[in-house]
Amino acid sequence: MNLVIEEVAKRYRRGVLALREFSLALKPGVLGLLGPNGAGKTTLMSILATITKASEGRVLWNGVDIARNPDALRSVLGYLPQDFGVYPNLNAVEFLEYLAAVKGLDPATAKHRIDELLELVNLTEACKRPLGGFSGGMKQRVGIAQALLNDPQLLIVDEPTAGLDPEERVRFRNLLSDLSGKRIVILSTHIVSDVEATATDIAIIEKGALVAHGSPEELLLQVEGKVWEWVVASAELNAAKQRFLISSTTRRSDGVHVRVLGEQPPEGAQTVAPNLEDAYLYCLSHHRAEVQQEAQVEVMA
Amino acid sequence: MMRARALYHLVRADFLERVRRYSFLLTLAFSVYLGYAVYSGQMVLQLDKYRGVDNSAWLGSVIGLVGSVWLSLVGFYVVKNAIQSDRQTRLGQILATTPISKGFYTLSKALSNFVVLAAMILVLAFAALVIQLLDRSDSRIDLFALLSPVLFFGLSAVAVTAALAVLFESLPVLHGGVGNILYFFLWVFLLAFGSGTIAEGVSDDGFHHFADYTGIVSVMSQMQNQVHKLDPQYSGGASFNIGNMNPTTKTFLWTGLIWTPALVLSRGMLFVLAGALALLAAVFFDRFDPARASWLPQKRPKLTREPESHEPALASIRGSLSAENIAHLPQSHLSAAHLVPLTRTGALSVSRVRFFTLLGAEVRLLLRGHAWWWYTVAVGLFIACLASPLEAARSGVIVAAWIWPALIWSQLGTREAQFSTGALVFSAPHAVPRQLLATYAAGVVVAAVAGGGLGLHLLFARDFSGFAAWACGALFIPALALVLGVTTGSRKFFEALYVVWWYVGPLHHIRDIDFMGTTAQSSTPAGYLAAAAALLLIAYEWRRAKLATA
Repeated sequence: MNLVIEEVAKRYRRGVLALREFSLALKPGVLGLLGPNGAGKTTLMSILATITKASEGRVLWNGVDIARNPDALRSVLGYLPQDFGVYPNLNAVEFLEYLAAVKGLDPATAKHRIDELLELVNLTEACKRPLGGFSGGMKQRVGIAQALLNDPQLLIVDEPTAGLDPEERVRFRNLLSDLSGKRIVILSTHIVSDVEATATDIAIIEKGALVAHGSPEELLLQVEGKVWEWVVASAELNAAKQRFLISSTTRRSDGVHVRVLGEQPPEGAQTVAPNLEDAYLYCLSHHRAEVQQEAQVEVMA
Repeated sequence: MMRARALYHLVRADFLERVRRYSFLLTLAFSVYLGYAVYSGQMVLQLDKYRGVDNSAWLGSVIGLVGSVWLSLVGFYVVKNAIQSDRQTRLGQILATTPISKGFYTLSKALSNFVVLAAMILVLAFAALVIQLLDRSDSRIDLFALLSPVLFFGLSAVAVTAALAVLFESLPVLHGGVGNILYFFLWVFLLAFGSGTIAEGVSDDGFHHFADYTGIVSVMSQMQNQVHKLDPQYSGGASFNIGNMNPTTKTFLWTGLIWTPALVLSRGMLFVLAGALALLAAVFFDRFDPARASWLPQKRPKLTREPESHEPALASIRGSLSAENIAHLPQSHLSAAHLVPLTRTGALSVSRVRFFTLLGAEVRLLLRGHAWWWYTVAVGLFIACLASPLEAARSGVIVAAWIWPALIWSQLGTREAQFSTGALVFSAPHAVPRQLLATYAAGVVVAAVAGGGLGLHLLFARDFSGFAAWACGALFIPALALVLGVTTGSRKFFEALYVVWWYVGPLHHIRDIDFMGTTAQSSTPAGYLAAAAALLLIAYEWRRAKLATA
């Protein structure tokens, strides 16, 4: 089982380039797709989910081009879009029965599967209530259940924890980890802690381009020895923000403890162990610096 | 001053949002078509055998009436989405938290509607000018005589239409398909009222001008007086037709409308009426309160405690989650690892298309969410079709039985856009042919069941040609709904077109446009069978192409 993304680009009308020369090869596990808002994550998800087609390049599912033969993937695909709706007059069971029929499940299998999934997403007690009265988090859990209806080999979830309460968010992270053994899971988000808890592989994307790809350990290694904790007076915080890349701040009685990312530490700063948020910010800032440098070289040339 | 500025920006933003949509070009194209229809003689104003000489006054009056009559109908469906649009984009919830009042908001929406429709009227006014330049029958252009009927009748009529659209959107029952259908009958009633007063040869008094919101009575009564002076034998007949079934043989010189104080006042009063209707809408407007949102199921079960809410305090105390403190959170006893794997050759085999399961789900989806009385009336109509004399069932009861599910058919092809479920549905295998066909078949099932009484009646009577007409009608109606739904993504188009067609064709048994085959003479089943097949093909190709190029 493998998914190969080859030199994929997506150009929208009016020439907006949402993805450029994006390549990645995936095997079973959880890929955390990280990037700022508007980076192209949702566009990539839509291409992989066969909702839209790439303008250039191709995506191969077990060697089959999904643009030419989308049904080869669709029969084993589970997709939870970032924004999706429900039919307000149906209850959760009826809605899942409908989507099970659309996905081609036979009624007996669908019934059993729906019961299992409703219990899994903790909606058994509310399953007879019309979806129109569901909260955002409950609708999101219905969305998660529908994505798992056909026991997908490729599970694509776009911002899946949006709207979930903390407990459900943890439950969902555990669910993704459980699912990842024999299938490819692509988790798109800008919440680094969600990726930290589940991903076996991480890809960072910005302005449609792949900035970094590797295991969490590999990304952390890149930033090893480049994260510092520094205590500054509150009054000096703004000045410090101008000079250094700061990933977080914590106010304490002795001043503001700031995490600084950089090759050279501020005076008096102590080195600390990096986390994934540090690695993410470091990769982005490093990439932006490179792009800026290339642009300057082009201008000079 | 601040309020005027706020009103200006509310109207401006709404107007810009609408005119930058592709569909706005279509509405302008419709205005151009109306102008062309007058130029080519497809729309004819005649007074028995008389028509006016083609001068500025005649052309302006005809185009003015075309604009006020047709844009007061079509315009309603064009603009009846101003509040809905704010609801769908969730901008409404932001506006609801600002200091603007409900009246201010509904007034701004009516104004925005009016500006959109006024743009259509202006296009029509321009068309009037172009037509006279092209026609060359009378090279003297009298701008006032040419444009005043278009602008004064057109703008005042669409002002009322714009406000009615906001009022309908604000009313709980009328905001959806029921309102779309009822508006057509309101429009017919107002036109019939106008026609009635023409037939009576009304005098030029203020009341009739005021009641005549399209201006048809005002214009025709003055024309009737002029023809009477020319020909005392003139019977007083006047009509405004699509098509020219009784060609005119005589002409008279129409010198233009006399703008009496009563007439001018009545047109001005329509703007006041429009303002009052817009403010009346504020009384019913829910201010985007989700608790009053009418799309929620009417019968809601008692809210039970959500299963996950047994530890809300704990969750909030924990605040941010870390790997260390999540371990002891309560977990469902079932984990994803315990899900029973599905075998791909059996349960998920795509080759064994489970079409009828999907069809059942589609039928259930179509029929959910209606009140008990809806089903009661449907059953009553079924029985009436079966129990009435065959001729009465065929020419009368079936017409009612097949208008009743109009709001069900209008869902065909639009649900995915309306409820944003497209990404879920279209990422399924063979989604385009299978789901689209199942949707269509569900529409046919509804047609066959709703009008099934007549179908059985015809079979029992061995009237096979009648049965063929009935069956083709049952196949054609959902195909029409599906193609309009798939191509426009909106229910309005089918609801508006179907009701107008139903009214003009089957209800009046007009040959060639009677898709229900209500009489043996008006029945043309083969044509509608072919049309159904063509419409289905268009719907399939449209959706396939749209998904392929998404």
